Order: sequence, then structure tokens, then C-alpha cells
Amino acid sequence: MTAVGARPDVVVTGIGLVTPAGIGRERTWERVCSGRPTAMDDPELEGLPAGFSCRVPAFDPAVLVPGVQHWRVDRCTLLALAAAREAVGDAGLTPETWDGDRVAVVLGSAAGGVATLADQQDRLRERGPGLVSPLALPMFLPNMAAGHIAVDLRARGPNLHTGTACASGATAIGIAVDLLRSGACDIVLAGGADAMVTRLCSAAFARMGALSRRSEEPAEASRPFDADRDGFVLAEGAGVLVLERAPDAAARRVRRYATLAGHGASADAHHQTAPHPKGVGAELALRRALSDADASPVEVDHVNAHGTSTQLNDRVEGTVIERFLTGRPSVTSTKGVTGHTMGAAGAIEAALTALTVFHATTPPTANLRHPLDDAELDLVSGAARTGKVSLAVSDSFGFGGQNAVLAFRPA
Amino acid sequence: MSAVYDHLVTTLSGKFEVPADTVRPDASYDDLGLDSLAVMELFLTLQEEWEVPLEDSEAVGTLTVRETVDLVEKLKAES
Repeated sequence: MTAVGARPDVVVTGIGLVTPAGIGRERTWERVCSGRPTAMDDPELEGLPAGFSCRVPAFDPAVLVPGVQHWRVDRCTLLALAAAREAVGDAGLTPETWDGDRVAVVLGSAAGGVATLADQQDRLRERGPGLVSPLALPMFLPNMAAGHIAVDLRARGPNLHTGTACASGATAIGIAVDLLRSGACDIVLAGGADAMVTRLCSAAFARMGALSRRSEEPAEASRPFDADRDGFVLAEGAGVLVLERAPDAAARRVRRYATLAGHGASADAHHQTAPHPKGVGAELALRRALSDADASPVEVDHVNAHGTSTQLNDRVEGTVIERFLTGRPSVTSTKGVTGHTMGAAGAIEAALTALTVFHATTPPTANLRHPLDDAELDLVSGAARTGKVSLAVSDSFGFGGQNAVLAFRPA
Repeated sequence: MSAVYDHLVTTLSGKFEVPADTVRPDASYDDLGLDSLAVMELFLTLQEEWEVPLEDSEAVGTLTVRETVDLVEKLKAES
């Protein structure tokens, strides 16, 4: 609870997930809790340094999002629409009854319709300007998923896109909390979506040395906090939360997964892509999220880590957790199962953290056999762990040194 | 009708998800619920299929299915 006269709590009342772990919240949660990785060979990436990925299980767009002209939206938007619809239904809401003027959408995406952009670039080069699609830009622009959600669900409140690379989804949720606290709207659909499993993105990440090269055993490739990790696995997906002020949710008598108690953002102000070696920015975002939640670091008993499975991220993040969160929280990275869904990751992991709090069950980190030997972290591996979580944080860190942390408590 | 007409009907009901029973020769793209960007995209598809230089300025909502077929067949005959 917050102090008397202070702002209202914000609660999570709906969750929509479309991830490599499954289409839908329940399938995703079940697979993530099983700890079974989803990375596999990807024929589209054949011949590249990392010929594997984590993709959303095959779907028919007409079944995934009926009524949407799927030929005119990028895959990123399709995933976002499916997650948004699921979240709204899960919250017991419908555009038929809500006041659409009071419904906001905040959706993060690192690269929007990057696959469309690449296809159209090829068209321009190979066939000339007359055969570039008139839909090239409406399909590519990174704000379009948020725009399409507004059209689809008649949500006429503030409509925003956030771009903080791999923190985009978490940044979106943080902004959503502020929109609710300020009274700018009554409901926010907040999350992230990305569909960056493309030849260009895979080749480019590989050139940076960021991707795992474990082509002979892709299922073993995403292994956050493991001593043998060698990079992340490129993935795609979308996650959307329905957020409301606690009194509104109570009046509707709906299930609340968790209270979104606080959020914090920061910049490393250090390097284009590498995290600050001491995690100064990460710690600052954590500090701000906990301050916003009126909590102290020692109270944190669970961390859903950014945990990408890269050498640099996991070492720095582990150090920050150990140094700053002195209550020795349990730590997991669900990217071991899902891979790295880019701008969707912060939102998917926020949803999984809310579910962790709600179910009092912490998913394990897949493929974690030899934990970082220089950290005294309580890493969850093997099987899911049951037990109440009182204060959980979800970390997200993006290229550009952009950091966002969300804090959750039981509702 | 013609191969061009059959292809147009298939394209409209397939890629563009227009209910097949509404695609009649005298139906305009406005009638079929295609906006200007969709008509432009349809022209792009037809240009690739028939290798004819359709004019973007002809891609308007009042254009009918039959008129489209006539345009393509005229250009085909000229090429």
C-alpha cells in the first residue's frame, strides 16, 4: 500500500502472451515453468553463423487474429494484436463496453516491421521503385503496432510507442504506470512486440559477437548465467498487460495478478552497446524502481533477470544483483526457454514476473548447469520453485545503455 | 470470363480477403472495402502477374473489377 493521500496502486488485471514458448498466456507459462528450451534450427537462417532461433509456434494469421487484414501488417503487429486481444479478454474487458476515450496503448518495439523493410529494400534494388509496396512504410514504422491495437480495440486514449531497444517493453509498462497515476486514462494496454528473426538481424547480431554459435545443439544455446554461455538466441514475440488503478479493478471485482509497485529508468551513459562494467546504470534503475515502490533493496526476494546469455550482460547483471539486492533474492532468466525476444522481452518478462507472484511459482533458468562461479547468486535451475514472492523485480537493459526495471508485489 | 478476371477474383478473395461472393464484374473497390493503399497494392500484384505497366493514377476506389480487367488486357495486347 502507498501512503495516505498518495497515488493509487496500479494492478495487472490482464495478460496476453504470444511467445516461442507458446501462443497464449497459459501455454507460455506452462512451457516456461517446464524449463524446456525452444531454440531450434531455422531454415530461414540457413548458412548464417547462427542458423537457429526461437520462433512463435506456427500459426495461421486468420486464426490468430481473425478479422485483421493480415496481408497489410508486419508480423510484429500481428503478434502484438494477438497479445493485446488476449490481454483484454483475460481482464474481462471488451471494447463494446469500455469508454475508449479512456483507454491508452503504450507498446515498445525495437525494430517494428524490420522484415518488411528488408523485403522492400530488396524489391527496390531488384525491381525498381514502381514495384515498392505502398504499404512499405505503414508496415515498417515501429509505432504501427500501437496504432493498430488502437484501431482494433477502439482505444482512443494516449497512444505511444517506446523505443529503448531490448528494454522497450519494460519502458512502455513504466510509462503506462505514470499515465494511470496521473489520471490521463483509466486503462492501459502496455507491452512490447518484435519480430526480428530475419537474415539481416541475425547476420548483424552475429557480427557483433552477441549471438550464440552453438549451431550443433541449438536447444542448449540460450543458457543465461551459465559459465559456458556464448551469446543470446534471436527470438520473436509479444506481451501485453492490462493495467488499471487498484480501486477501479476492485470495483470491477476482477482478478489481479499483481500490483505493479514501482518502475525505474536510467541510462548507462557509457557505451553504444556494452553495459557499464560495474552496472552503474542497472543499479540506478533498480534503485529508482524500489524507491518508487517505497521498498528497500533488502526486501527484494525475486529477480526476473534480463539474463541474455551473453558473457557481458550476465556477468555485470549478476554482480549488480549480488551487490545491491542484499536480501539474496532468487534469480531466474526465462530467456533460457524463450530466447531473446528483443523489444518484447521486457513485456513478456513483466508478465512472467506477475505470474510468478500470482502463482507463487518461480520458473527455472533453462540450461543452467554450471552457474557463474564468481557470483553468490541464488539461481533457480532445473525445476520450477514454489514459494511466496513478496517483492519481485524484472530487469531490462537495452543497447544505448537504456535501462528499465519494474517492481511487482502480490495484489 | 478471362484468365485475367479469374486471377483478379482469386487475388481479391485470397490475398485481399474479400468475400468471394461479393466480387462481381461491376463491383468497385469502394464496394469491396478496399482503401486506396489496398488498391495500389492490388495494382502492384497485377503488374507482377501480367507484366504490364499499370498507371498508379488509375488505382482509385471507383474503379470496377471489369474496368481493371479491361485495363490489364488492353496493356497486354499492346505489349
